[in-house]
Amino acid sequence: MSDMHQEGSGGGDFDLTQFYQIFFEEAGENLDLMEQMLLSLNLETADDEALNGIFRCAHSVKGGAATFGFSDVAELTHQMESLLDRLRRHELQPNSDMVDVLLESADASRSLLARHQSGGDGDATPTADLVRRISLLATGKAAPVQTVAAAPSVVEKAAIKVEATTQASSGEISSSQRKLEILIGPLERPEQADAVQELFRDIPGLGEISAAPTDAINTRCFLVKTMSSDEDLLDLFAFHVSRDYIQIKQLDVALSDSMPANQGEAAAATEQLNSFDDPLPDAPLAPLPGYGFFDGAPGAPSVGATAPAGEAKASKTPAKSSSSNATVQPEAATIRVAINKVDQLINLVGELVITQAMLAQNSRALDPAIYQQLLSGLADLDRNTRDLQESVMSIRMIPMSVVFSRFPRMLRDLAGKLGKKVDFVTQGEATELDKGLVEKITDPLTHLVRNSCDHGVESPAERIAAGKPETGTITLAASHQGGSIVIEVRDDGKGMSRQKILNKARERGLDVSDQMSDSDVWQLIFAPGFSTAEVVTDVSGRGVGMDVVKRNITALNGTVEIDSVEGYGMKVSVRLPLTLAIMDGMSVGVGGEVYILPLSSVVESFQVRADAVSTVGQGSQLVKVRDEYMPVIALEKIFQVPRFDSDKLCDIMVVVEADGSRVALLVDELLGQQQVVVKNLESNYRKVPNVSGATILGDGKVALILDTGALVRRSRH
Amino acid sequence: MGMMEKIDEIATLDPREYLTFRLDEEEYGIDILKVQEIRGYEPPTRVANAPSFIKGVVNLRGTIVPIVDMRLKFNCKNADYSAFTVVIILNLRSRIVGIVVDSVSDVMELPQDSIKEAPEIDSVIDSSAVLGLGSLGNRMLILLDIERLMSANDMGLVGSPD
Repeated sequence: MSDMHQEGSGGGDFDLTQFYQIFFEEAGENLDLMEQMLLSLNLETADDEALNGIFRCAHSVKGGAATFGFSDVAELTHQMESLLDRLRRHELQPNSDMVDVLLESADASRSLLARHQSGGDGDATPTADLVRRISLLATGKAAPVQTVAAAPSVVEKAAIKVEATTQASSGEISSSQRKLEILIGPLERPEQADAVQELFRDIPGLGEISAAPTDAINTRCFLVKTMSSDEDLLDLFAFHVSRDYIQIKQLDVALSDSMPANQGEAAAATEQLNSFDDPLPDAPLAPLPGYGFFDGAPGAPSVGATAPAGEAKASKTPAKSSSSNATVQPEAATIRVAINKVDQLINLVGELVITQAMLAQNSRALDPAIYQQLLSGLADLDRNTRDLQESVMSIRMIPMSVVFSRFPRMLRDLAGKLGKKVDFVTQGEATELDKGLVEKITDPLTHLVRNSCDHGVESPAERIAAGKPETGTITLAASHQGGSIVIEVRDDGKGMSRQKILNKARERGLDVSDQMSDSDVWQLIFAPGFSTAEVVTDVSGRGVGMDVVKRNITALNGTVEIDSVEGYGMKVSVRLPLTLAIMDGMSVGVGGEVYILPLSSVVESFQVRADAVSTVGQGSQLVKVRDEYMPVIALEKIFQVPRFDSDKLCDIMVVVEADGSRVALLVDELLGQQQVVVKNLESNYRKVPNVSGATILGDGKVALILDTGALVRRSRH
Repeated sequence: MGMMEKIDEIATLDPREYLTFRLDEEEYGIDILKVQEIRGYEPPTRVANAPSFIKGVVNLRGTIVPIVDMRLKFNCKNADYSAFTVVIILNLRSRIVGIVVDSVSDVMELPQDSIKEAPEIDSVIDSSAVLGLGSLGNRMLILLDIERLMSANDMGLVGSPD
């Protein structure tokens, strides 16, 4: 079937592959949107808006999939659409089984699409079961039957088989060809009625139509052969003519069930009736590329009324039918831009800022009385440059809702699996974060949320026993605090036990004492290896992969803090810089050169006394800081800094921490703290040991950013 | 596709244009299409553990670009930095590198038949990086395959430092 459809859609000489990417993106968005709407759907009082929205999503995906020849996706989404169509017509009452199966189908469609996108490698997700379940649900209730239009297209053979059961059970309308006489009128402008002829041309499989003479004034008469129900036809015609003016008369009951709907039959019918004019030469019986998604469009109004713009692009449908009934989907006013274009823009603005700073510097010496105009121009430039920089940086920012939106689904599944009741609350979805960070923060957050649900929130019985509401709450909150963004994962579950963690730590031979502050105790669960299965059960399970979470967040220059009260829940706060491209740095001077330290890893700095440094073995130096010995690394030696003023000595130490250990860096001077734009050194050069990147200072010079992780590791050897 | 092949063909048949520069007493030529721009010399930021001829990195409109002093690489006697010292910014397969030379002379067309094969000589320059010798009157141009030269391992511009 798949092959046949490929043929059908690939038959045209019009190359569709160039639109594949757009389709994949749009289909992904539609599936995401559908999932969100399904999850927020109120089953008891489902409103038309929501049901229509969900239907539109399924419809768009199906349309695109059929157009591009992804018949497996088209088939599955067609089934979803059929079910949704009945829901939105209130023929069926939505229930959670339907939501489940629709969600699963959305997942299956996603994986099928992913497979097509990667060139069809790997096994296709089996969909037969889903198709069966959906059709079962769709037939479930004996409602006044709206046959899901059975268009005899190649694509939908399987679908028709399924629908046959629907029809059989309904017993009202047979799936066979029917001959109808349709009278439209009287109308003020009878030409309006002619438009219905176009519908038959535009919608493959709808059937055939031909005009017939009639005596009535201002009335048109058509002879129609179709498999669609009267109701469907009326819906369809309603685009052009009000229902009140349409009369449908059946001419010939069920010509034959077994006779296939093909040209041969059409010819036979013509003879039999003798009143058909020439069958419309261009009435398409086989699906044409570009039309595929209208195949058997159930509830024909969707053809025009709900086809979103994305689909209209790909179709050759005349504007008339798609714009006649206007519930235009509000379209987000956005454009897609390649990320490297944005980055280039950011680079250029960065340059502009530096140039502007240089001009400001040079103009300071000018006499304000003489150069007043120039100076005021420069002041304007200053302001505009800053505004420009801010706007450009904001392009890369996307709202946290993009991250948050994936959690309701995950939690729903997880809570269902665990037999828990969980409410999910999000706050601050509009908080914006750099796109690069968003991609990297998703996994750690997923982990935290999963942990909260898995180990934090108790089972309903336990919760009631503890005097809490049966349903637990997991809150995901994002907010800006200064130059950082703080994301909190909170739950009102059982929290962590301080004593159990301490016991566990002692068992593992970690150095702990009962006097440790709570926050220090909670930090213990980030220790690598603290996440054994045993701990999971003993210590309310917070250990699972927490070290990985911590490592990932630290890699983004972020920090993680935990707060917990046993019996009342826990809060994990993740603090991140707003963007990866900008970092808080501390600039230090070594023999006339400037190096940048990531501020997040700087613990403290102090002036060192000669007697505080002691030597061990082959000259490794140690410094004693408040009863702790830590290795000393002289940046001068590591970076082979040339010295011209030999009398000047390094006497300032900066303690940096990475991977849980600390080293003291010996430098000449501390120059200050500033935000720096992180640049890649390796794009034109190679990796430099102990250096993580480079940045451009205010004077246009390049300064290297130290890789504190590498420096700490170096001290261990 | 066919168009591109044709262009390539034309490019190889027709005289190519070379940017010529001086290192000490010697004159060199490189394919002009590899040259992005020419700038004055400004002191770069030194990078630790780099060979002596890599002077460091500079900021080229937001891009970090390494600077190679060809005079040090080719063991020239003098490597002074004056107001006339120039940096040729090369764009080699999406990598950007700057080379320091004494001066840039001009851009000239060299017909294919005026390029002679370089004899096997003992030199600091890897012979595979020399395309040939171009003769123009009494001037001799050493035509360099600058891409090959810059991507060679001993240049230390690419690959891991280990």
